[in-house]
This record gives sequence, structure tokens and C-alpha cells, in this order.
Amino acid sequence: MSSSFIEDIVACPGCDLLQRIPVLSPGGKARCPRCGHTMAANKPDSLERTLALTVAAAITLVVANTTPLMGISVVGRHVSTTILGGVLEMWLQGQEITALLVAFCAIVAPTVYIGLMLVILLAVRRSPAPSWAGFLMRMLDLSQPWGMAEVMMLGILVALIKIAEMATLVLGVGIFAVGALIILIAAMMASFDHNEVWTRIRWVDEESQKMIASAELADIEGIRP
Amino acid sequence: MTEKIDLDNIPEATVVPEKRMRFSVVWIIPIVAALVAIGIAVQRILSEGPTITIVFKAAEGVEAGKTFVKYNDVNIGEVKTVRLSEDFTKVVVTAKIDKSAEGLIVEDAEFWVEKPRVTLSGVSGISTLLTGNFIGLKMGKSKRPRHNFIGRDVPPAITMDQPGRIFILQADNLGSVGIGSPLYYRRLNVGQVIGYDLAGDGKALHIKIFVNAPYDKYVTNETRFWEASGIDVTMGASGINVDTQSVVSMLVGGIAFETPSLLKELKPADANAAFTLFRNRATAMAEHETVITPYVLYFNESLLGLSVGAPVTYRGLPVGEVTAVGLEYDQAKDFIHPRVDIQLYPARFMAHVKKSAALEEQARSESGRHVFMQKLIDKGVRAQLRSGNILTGQLYVAFDNFRGVPKVKIDWTKTPAELPVMPSGLEDLKTKINDVLARIDKIPLNAIGEDMKKLLAGLDGMVKSVDREVLPELKKTLEALKHVLKSTDATLVGKDAPAQQEMREALQEVRRAAQAVSGLVDYLERNPEALVRGKTQEKSK
Amino acid sequence: MSTGVPTGITSGFVSCEACGLLTKPVNVHEPGHCPRCGGKLELRRHNTIQRTWALIIAAAICYIPANVMPVMVTSTLTSVEEDTIISGAVLLYKYGSWHLALIVLIASVMIPLAKLAALAYLLITVQRNSIKDQRERTRLYRLVEFVGRWSMLDIFVVTFVVALIQLQPLMSVKPGLGSLFFASVVVLTMIAAETFDSRLIWDSSNCKEEQND
Repeated sequence: MSSSFIEDIVACPGCDLLQRIPVLSPGGKARCPRCGHTMAANKPDSLERTLALTVAAAITLVVANTTPLMGISVVGRHVSTTILGGVLEMWLQGQEITALLVAFCAIVAPTVYIGLMLVILLAVRRSPAPSWAGFLMRMLDLSQPWGMAEVMMLGILVALIKIAEMATLVLGVGIFAVGALIILIAAMMASFDHNEVWTRIRWVDEESQKMIASAELADIEGIRP
Repeated sequence: MTEKIDLDNIPEATVVPEKRMRFSVVWIIPIVAALVAIGIAVQRILSEGPTITIVFKAAEGVEAGKTFVKYNDVNIGEVKTVRLSEDFTKVVVTAKIDKSAEGLIVEDAEFWVEKPRVTLSGVSGISTLLTGNFIGLKMGKSKRPRHNFIGRDVPPAITMDQPGRIFILQADNLGSVGIGSPLYYRRLNVGQVIGYDLAGDGKALHIKIFVNAPYDKYVTNETRFWEASGIDVTMGASGINVDTQSVVSMLVGGIAFETPSLLKELKPADANAAFTLFRNRATAMAEHETVITPYVLYFNESLLGLSVGAPVTYRGLPVGEVTAVGLEYDQAKDFIHPRVDIQLYPARFMAHVKKSAALEEQARSESGRHVFMQKLIDKGVRAQLRSGNILTGQLYVAFDNFRGVPKVKIDWTKTPAELPVMPSGLEDLKTKINDVLARIDKIPLNAIGEDMKKLLAGLDGMVKSVDREVLPELKKTLEALKHVLKSTDATLVGKDAPAQQEMREALQEVRRAAQAVSGLVDYLERNPEALVRGKTQEKSK
Repeated sequence: MSTGVPTGITSGFVSCEACGLLTKPVNVHEPGHCPRCGGKLELRRHNTIQRTWALIIAAAICYIPANVMPVMVTSTLTSVEEDTIISGAVLLYKYGSWHLALIVLIASVMIPLAKLAALAYLLITVQRNSIKDQRERTRLYRLVEFVGRWSMLDIFVVTFVVALIQLQPLMSVKPGLGSLFFASVVVLTMIAAETFDSRLIWDSSNCKEEQND
């Protein structure tokens, strides 16, 4: 093999099978024939859409974190809290580590994810994007599994039901913002095309990138299963 | 013939580049999100009320983010921060007030911390045990807004919007009255004490009271106020007197008022009118004397038990009171002797006298009073200290007729004039009583008891045969005893103070009777059969 | 050149985990960095079996106190009650919300346990070079990855109940130590799922193939 890298042949991250990705029609998906791992998907207008959703998610994130989630009213006392307030109370009650974990999963990770996404998408609008965008992409993939906004939402609902027995509940703007945030993040993930971005990023090793433009494809036998 | 189509020369269709929409439909989502967020932010900014600071001495239970500010039980704001003042002596609380309540935050608005308190008028703020402490607000009348306040230590006693009137009471001391002490009219709680301060010269106390409408119209210029504090127990010359207004006033003190019934119609008093606060109802309702004549008395004995306010009587009827009890240094004699100042109320004296048109005439003028007084002194009237209450040792001053006293001329040039006195002989009385007690001690009561038993056995036999000579004698003795007892009763225990001589006489009789009994017992000891046979030794049955 | 299924490792290529680019490693032990994204290249996830075992064991150790120690301490005027995850679910059931009790039980008790069991199973089968049910095992792994985060549910429930119910002296709720251990279980299993390399499941067929070669 003459080239040290191949761009149109990939190894399945699930089972390491080498395969080519066929051209997909819009909305189409390609799976690994051996283990079923989703290899690629044709997401129309991915960058544009994802950017719009990311902007919306960013705004919603701010609202979700600054407005009270809900308030309770019992025997004339009123208490309301934001997500940060919940974290703070945990901290004040002596559970510092748990508070930090909750803060990470509920606030930091989603914020990082949305923020990174925003920066990357804006960076790739002027293709080719600088190579630090690649670094950001790696960070994005790391942070994605740790954003637990939807788990938090369910947790809040269970807490609400537990409390509703003894006090009157007042739902705040925050809780609806969290709900909207969950939907937006899910939509972001659905419309985001990794590969699309990777093709627009300047390689760290620019020499190699230039080589690829005129490189011969490796001749590997037996690609088709 | 078909032309050979030159495949190389087929023009290319022009490629129309796909028009990339500047904005795809997706962008509606972030736009909507942005609008909603802006809407929320704007609404929050618009509904931002003022932020105020309140400085308290202590702010228990006030927590940032948790404690509310309430007016009329409605939340109008929330505490944002609680921190110490720069000199660490006070607590500075910042609170954000709702926009809707902005109008309440004016210059003379007052803030306090509502928490459970036990005060003079009861327990307040218990509900805060459940709801948590909050900061209360009392509305001010001013229209000017203000943002920095000094918080009160105690809640204000009344709210500004309650109808009623404020009056001032003057008193010597606070007694058991305090802020919040209740006011009573006909045993109804009609108001409370809202404040007090010293008069400018420090000689009297001005107590501010607030009477709720509609009761404030019952306060007229003739209304009398007195302390209804606690249990009014007076141990005076007339005995023990217990008077209370209510259980509450028993616990926390209070003030009561009443208008003495006068025939004329009275207008309600003006706000801030001043009244005197009397110690008790009797003093308050006593008719105010228009004429007061002061005199001085020099007693030559212990004044212990004579207190200011003790009654001065004439033959048992009240005619004045003691105003001062003390000592005086007589420079001429180089001696300190006891001095009692009294006040006589001729009007009161006249009230006791019936059919006294001429006397009333005389009493009106000062010279007439002087003449009258001199006449009494000439007749033998003297002042004397008497025991009003043996239990407490309370003394009072009694004017009474005494026989065989030298004539005294009242020197009207001295003010106050001195009136002659008579020693009380109370010391003698004490010695006499001791003597009697000693004698009684000496009587061999045990032995008599034994003999009595034997006697009774004998009597048993005697009763069976009635002795006509013994019984009548017995009867006579009994009558005599009865008589003695009656007179003793009247002279010892009666409403009127007994004459000192009568007391002595009675005691002498008792002594004689005791002697007679002891003599009889002696005789009986030697001659037990005398009871049966009689002293004359007549034949028995 | 193998006659079997072409995989990256057998063909001498390494796939960049971050950007997917296939490159030729510098050498087997130190593959180098990806020319596209600059990320460190690894043939397989570093030290995957050891790390995953360590994390599973640590998580299992935390699992006991997580369920035994109380996660919430409720103080009222009259009493102080401690609730573990299970007793909290029982209470929910008693108060009539049996569906909530079920959700809490599944999310907080069963899922972590299932995760631990699944990862252990995956590790064991990989270590025994089993070639059976590879597709199912890979699916299992993906399931573990996906479902793992939901065990954090109870932690959020506790967080918000504590944040709201601070009504001294009537009633107040404090978090218990159990919540810390529980959060650790979730985090450790999540990291364990990330350290495990599912390609190992399929590597055993490569070995067999090579043996047959």
C-alpha cells in the first residue's frame, strides 16, 4: 500500500471491520454489516440545521439555569429553586462531591456540549476550518454522554410527585425551559453529521491532507463482505 | 439524410447553482427561543421592585433567599442578603420588594422582625414557628420613597390605620405598666399603652395611651385613670382589700378608666389631653378636694407603721390623710424628733356632718376654719397614733376627744400649722398584754384540768340533786360574765376604735376575774365538797 | 494478507477513534497521532480489560453502601426518618404511586446491578476468547452505554427534594451519604463502559481465523 491513510474506507468502531461507505440518499443510514453499528447517515443541511438548533439550545440553556424550576407553598412558606440552587443546597448540606457530580452532569456537560458545538459549527462555515476545531470535536464527543438533562428532568418530575402530596406546587419557567432544552439537544444530536464536519477541517498534518487529494486509493482485497 | 450530430459540440446545459436559502426554516426555532427568552427577561426587569436595606440590631431567623417581607400578611418582598455591618454591631439586611408594593416603601415606613415574642400584652408571632420568621412592615403616611431604613427591635404597638385617640397620663413611676399593657373601660379591653417617656424635668412620667374607637369618646375631661395592675392588694387601716380588673391585668398589668357620674353632660376629651394616673380606683374616684388644709404633727414615739397616704380620722371618720412621715431637726432644742405632715379636707369633714348649714358657711373661709379648729382643740381634740391593723402593724392618725388635757393655742402663723398630739399609749398596751399572757402562763392549767375532771365527776352527782342555793348563785355569776363579755366585745372588737381607758378597764376586769377564778380554784382544791355544799356549808341533799 | 474478514487490526491499519480516519500506525506499540484530528492513536483502548475490571469492582464495592446507607434524611417536628433508595421506593409504593416506585427501583437498583453484571459478562467472554453471540454481545454493550446514565435519576430526585423541602422546623430533608456512594456507582460504571473496547468481542474471531490460517 502506497498511502498511509485511507479516507473512504473506514473501520467499524464496534467490530473493527473494514468497509466502504456507499453514497447515501438524504436521510439514509449505513450500518456495519457485521455488528450493526451505525456507520454513516446522510443528514441534509446538517450544518445549517444543527447551528440553528444549537443557538436555540444555548438560549434555552441560559433560561433553564437562571429561572426557577418550581416553587412550593406550604403553611404560608414559599420556597423555589433553580438547578444551581439544588446543587448549592447539596453542597451546603455537606454532600460536596455529590453536588459537584450533579453540577457536572446537569449544568457543565450540557453547557460544554452546546458551547463546543456552537464554536465548531461557526468555525466550519469558512471551510476549511482551523485545526483546533478538530480538537474541539474530540472534546465534543467526550462531553456528549455526560449531559444528563433528560435524566434530570425525570428526576425533577419524580421529586415533584413526591412533594405534591404535602404542598402546593407552582411550576416555574425553568422547568419548561429544561423540557425544551432536552428536545433541542436531542434534535441537535440527530441532525449533526460528524463526517461532514471532519471533511471541512484542516488536517493537523496538512501535508498529508494535500497528498490525499491526489492519492491513489489503497488496493485492499475483499472489502466487500 | 440526417446530419451527423456532432456529439462534441452539444452545448452543455447551464448549471443553475442550487440556491442556498439564506435562512432555512429551521432558524425559526432559535428565533422563537430568543423571543421567549427576551420576553421572560424583560418581564423580570419590568417587575423589579426597589431594593432596600434595613439595619437591625439583631435579625434572628432572617436568611438570605428564604425570609420574606410581609405587609398585612401578604408577601411583598424577599430578603436577598444578610451581613454584618462594618463595625460588627448591627445586621444589614437587603431585601428586594415587589414592584406592586413599591408604594409602601416610604420615609416613615417601619420594619421589624416578626418572631415569637412574649410581651406585656401577651404572646405574639406564634405563627412564625410554622411559617418561619419574616420582616413585618408598618405603612408610613409619607409619600416620599426611601431606600435605607433602621429596623425596630419590637413591633410597633398599633398600626396607623386604626381609628382612636391618643392621651397622655402623668404618673410618678411606671409601676407595673409597660408598652402594650391593656386599657380597660368597664372591664372591656379598649386600648393599650403605646409608649412612655420622662417629663422634661425628670420629675414625672408621661405615659402615652391609645384608646380604640368607639371607646375614645368615653374619655372626657373628668375621666379618672388608675393602675389596674395585677392584684390590687392594699393592706390598709381598714383591712385587706383585693381588687382586680381581669386575669390579663393580673398577669401583665393594665390601666382602667372611668368617669365619675356627674349630672352634667361632658364632651369627649381632645386627643393628647393629659390626665393623672392614680394608684388605685379608690384614690382615682375620690372626689377631688378643692380645699386642702395642711398641718403638721410632732409625735414623740415610733412612727414605724405609719405610711404616706394613711388615713387621718376624726372619731373614726376619714377627714384627711398623711402626706409625709419623717424627722425634723429642732435647732432650738438641738434635737431630732419625728414629724408627720397631714392634709385635712374640710369638704370631706363636712360631708360627714349633718345639719350643718352654719358650719358649711364657716368652713368656706379660712378664718372660719381656723376658728373652728381652735374650738375643737379647746374642747380637747388631739391627734393620736393608733394601730389600724394589729396584724400588719399599720398605724393611722386619729383625732379624738381627750379629757383632762391642757389648753393649747394653735399658732396660725406657722405654715403648716402645728396641731397638738396625744401619746398613743400603745407601748403600755403592749406591756399590759404581755402581763396578762404571763399570768395566764402561771395558771396551773394542767392541774386545774385534773381537778376539773374530778369536779365533773362530782358535778355529775350534783346535777342529780339540784341545789337551789348554788344554781342561782351560778346564774348570777353567769349573767355578770355575760355582761362583762358583751362590754369586752364592744370595746375590743367593734367597728369604732375602742377608747384606750375602756381597754384598760376591760383588761383590769379580766385580771380580777382571773384572780377570782384562781382563788376559787385554790379554795376548791382544799374544799372540793364546797361545790356541793356551797361555801356557807349548808346541809347537802 | 488474511483470507478472512478484513479488520483494521489485521490489515495493519488503525482507526482514529475521534475522527474515524484509517491510518497506518507508526508501529504496533506506539501508533502515533492521527494526521487529521491530532488525537492519540490506539489500536485498542488502552489497557482495556484491566481498567474495566478495576472500575467494575470499585463500583460493586460502592454498590453495597449505596443501597444500605440512607440517601435522604427527613426531619419533621416529631421525628427523624432515614430513607435508603429501596425504602424510598417502598414509601412511594405505599403512597399509591406504584409506577414511580417501579421507575425508581428499576433505575436505581436494577440498572446499576445489570450494568455491572453485563460488563462482567462481557469481560469474561472476551477474556475466554469466546466467539459465540458476538453480535448480541455487541448489542448488549451498546445497551449498557446507552442506559447507564439513567441510574443518576435518584440522585437528581434527592437533589431537588432537598433543595425544596427546607422548612425548618416543620420539615426538612437532608441528603445522606448513600447518595454519594450511589453517584459513584453510576459514574464508575459509565467510565467502565467507556474504557471497555467492544472490538475485543470480535478480535477473538480474528485469532481463530489466524489459527485456521
